[in-house]
Amino acid sequence: MPPITRWFIKAGILWFITGMILAFLAELPLLSAGSLLLPVYWHMLVVGWITQIIMGVSIWMFPRKKRDRLKKQSVRTVVSFVFLNSGLVLRFLCEPFIPMFRGESMITLIVIASSLLQVLGILFYIAEIWPRLQPKSSRKKTSGGH
Amino acid sequence: MPAQSVWMIRLSLVYLAITISMGGLLLIHKAISIHPAVWGLLPVHFELAIWGWMVQFVMGTAYWMFPRFLKGEPRGNSNIATLMATLFNGGLFLLLISIFDVYSSFLAPAGRGLLLISVTLFAALIWNRVVSYRKRT
Repeated sequence: MPPITRWFIKAGILWFITGMILAFLAELPLLSAGSLLLPVYWHMLVVGWITQIIMGVSIWMFPRKKRDRLKKQSVRTVVSFVFLNSGLVLRFLCEPFIPMFRGESMITLIVIASSLLQVLGILFYIAEIWPRLQPKSSRKKTSGGH
Repeated sequence: MPAQSVWMIRLSLVYLAITISMGGLLLIHKAISIHPAVWGLLPVHFELAIWGWMVQFVMGTAYWMFPRFLKGEPRGNSNIATLMATLFNGGLFLLLISIFDVYSSFLAPAGRGLLLISVTLFAALIWNRVVSYRKRT
């Protein structure tokens, strides 16, 4: 398993546990912030956990092109990991407080930065995986030419 | 990788790019009001994330990676697999249109129905491939 896959899976597990802790806390009557935490909890599970596990495992298991096999780790996957997770951290730190500080420039900047980082993280992942998706017939032709 | 898997995974990546962009827009809209219609993207964001991205990616990958048959077509009837991929994306398309076309009561059940048929075809294709090549001792 390449190091980047381990990072994706370990980060996914951490978001999974954090999401479950949040879901537990949201059920406590003392904390009346359940509805504010709901989108945070869902994104921790769907993006932080499930999507990252899919990303990590596909980077590991999907066939690489012959000329890329010697590369230990693609820069795109590292950038994808850093961008996606820093975007998620910013999102989870600021999203519950948006209703309180709506319109303030600091929260607006953090929200925009978080959105852009998440979108770019996913785009870097797609750029890594897309060329690896080839039908068997065209893969044979490609590798036969080298 | 079979062509059906290639197309299902490629489409799932396209849907991932669309849904994450919509999610980003929705998040920004929470902080600065862009347009009231932006909230209308929320159900599309959900459907694309669950069905377009995650479920389709898993189905495409499972069809490719599960143990193959030792005799005959390695992954079963490839025409059924093509039909599965076509119905899945046709159903998802109808479902997405139904979110915007509030006057149509036909599109949503038609879309869900096509998704149901596609998932049933997937189950039929995969069922006998859930095996181990090792003999039990």
